[in-house]
Amino acid sequence: MSWDTHIADATVEIFSTMLMMEVNPLAPLTERIKTHQKSVTGIVGMAGLYKGMLAIHAPATAAMAITGNFLGLEVDDVNDDVKDAMGELANMLAGSIKAKLSDNSKDIQLSIPSAVCGGSYSLDYQPQQGCSMVPFESTAGRFLVELQLEQQT
Amino acid sequence: MDFAQAIIEATSDVFNTMVMLEAAPGAPATEKTTAFSDAISGILGFSGDIKGMLRINCPNQVAMAITGSLLGMEVEEIDDDVRDAIGEIANMVAGGLKIYFARHNQNIELSIPTAIGGQAYTVHSLANAEWVAVPFTLANGVMLVELQFVGLK
Repeated sequence: MSWDTHIADATVEIFSTMLMMEVNPLAPLTERIKTHQKSVTGIVGMAGLYKGMLAIHAPATAAMAITGNFLGLEVDDVNDDVKDAMGELANMLAGSIKAKLSDNSKDIQLSIPSAVCGGSYSLDYQPQQGCSMVPFESTAGRFLVELQLEQQT
Repeated sequence: MDFAQAIIEATSDVFNTMVMLEAAPGAPATEKTTAFSDAISGILGFSGDIKGMLRINCPNQVAMAITGSLLGMEVEEIDDDVRDAIGEIANMVAGGLKIYFARHNQNIELSIPTAIGGQAYTVHSLANAEWVAVPFTLANGVMLVELQFVGLK
């Protein structure tokens, strides 16, 4: 099962309404990228009718530019503001996707977000889950939005 | 509710019955550790009456020992088995926390686990969330089990 359209719609919507940024979805990746270099990842868990994780991965430069737009200030290093902003962005994206997956807002609930950053790190999931990874282009640079999800039966 | 006790019970149960390795709990940490080197962190989100994230941070040596004992084989490098195993440990410990919380009339639902690994990375959660962490000493290193959460009630 693929969630590419939900990811694209949610991301375009959140960036245009919350960050006043235009972003364009590119073709979804056929093979997920698991290792990220000099990047920041915002990640949040989803639980309930669907369980999964939503992550946004941005190179440090893009993460700083996104945070600058988000907070309306100049950002010149990967400080706590950038990590908070990327976590909060993951939270908003997951909130938007959750509304597309179910009309009942109680069906799916979100955890609190975390942010990961570093020179080189990898994220692995257990293989049985459905996965979608969509790249986006923006004035801040490219970034990736990833959804790992399984529907509960 | 005693969250450090919840971590100790849930983790000890998994190590005694599934991993079959001795993991001695220490005093709860007083300072946050956010930077990890040559390590793997299994993370899992949860939501419901309490929402938060569980993180189990293992130096590579500890992660390999846990995987070897869990799977009953020699593990000499960080491979997919190790990443899957640490994700699964997070899943099992979170399952134990869910039971502990339910005994205190707090219901939670779990997300899926993610394993983060790398030579040098940081993990950061919302600054305003509560934080409890308990170190566990194993034969070849220390594993840190962290819980970050906000109560909804």
